[in-house]
Amino acid sequence: MKESLLDIICCPLDKHDLELTVEERDEEDGEIVEGLLVCTDCGEEYPIEEGIPNLLPPDMRE
Amino acid sequence: MGLLEDKARARLFYKYLSTVYDTINPFVWNDRMRNQALEWFDADRDDRVLDVGSGTGFATEGLLNHVDEVYALDQSVDQMEHAFAKFGKRGKVTFHRGDAERLPFKDDTFDKVWSSGSIEYWPDPVAALREFNRVTKPGGTVLVVGPDYPKNRVFQRLADAIMLFYDAEEAERMFREAGFEEMDHYVQQRAPGTPRAITTVARATDADAADAADGRSESSASGRLSRIPFL
Repeated sequence: MKESLLDIICCPLDKHDLELTVEERDEEDGEIVEGLLVCTDCGEEYPIEEGIPNLLPPDMRE
Repeated sequence: MGLLEDKARARLFYKYLSTVYDTINPFVWNDRMRNQALEWFDADRDDRVLDVGSGTGFATEGLLNHVDEVYALDQSVDQMEHAFAKFGKRGKVTFHRGDAERLPFKDDTFDKVWSSGSIEYWPDPVAALREFNRVTKPGGTVLVVGPDYPKNRVFQRLADAIMLFYDAEEAERMFREAGFEEMDHYVQQRAPGTPRAITTVARATDADAADAADGRSESSASGRLSRIPFL
């Protein structure tokens, strides 16, 4: 995931901004491979899995 | 049946579908029909476009003939794997997992929103259409392709049992309930006797202004349609 994506994504539940925590970054292009997106309002957590942000609401995750 | 239970059933259905999707899809909606819909969509190269229910990437591939970049959203990673194989994970397509009815994008983010072959699986299509209106800039195009309600009685029974099918009148009602005011409906058919597809091309409204005028939108329980009763 590119860090610039934070400009357009939001919490799917309350549409507030997300805060990014990076766990692993690609050394070549700087993309985020593993990390966490946390809603600045409700605190719900959305993982970045193998570079893809999983923005499914919690009731839809496997 | 509660909404969550509906969604769990839809999810189960997707998992099954992803294994056969590329086989059945071309029979309903082929390249020619997709390219016609792309003309109605009329995107510019630098438009920021969202593909909802991007699945295996059949529409995404067509969209990339018209725009430089596509934002793709799907709930199923099983389907998305096919799209990774076609476009790579990091290239012209930016992938997200998410729910059409609760989009993870800020208001007025996109110039245009496209969704094909997905609406028939949404438990609450009006809620999803309202979200499309919210994330699209006012005046931007929202295009949705779904299955047209069949005329043949055998297909009708199958349709009623499996998923949502709708006609132009029903499409008009759903889009209006979601806040759209201007729209056109087109019916496409691969060959006589085959299932028909219905495409609605709508103009996004200023959703915030509409909400301020008549209060926050009411629950869309009336817009929900029953489907997949046997799953």
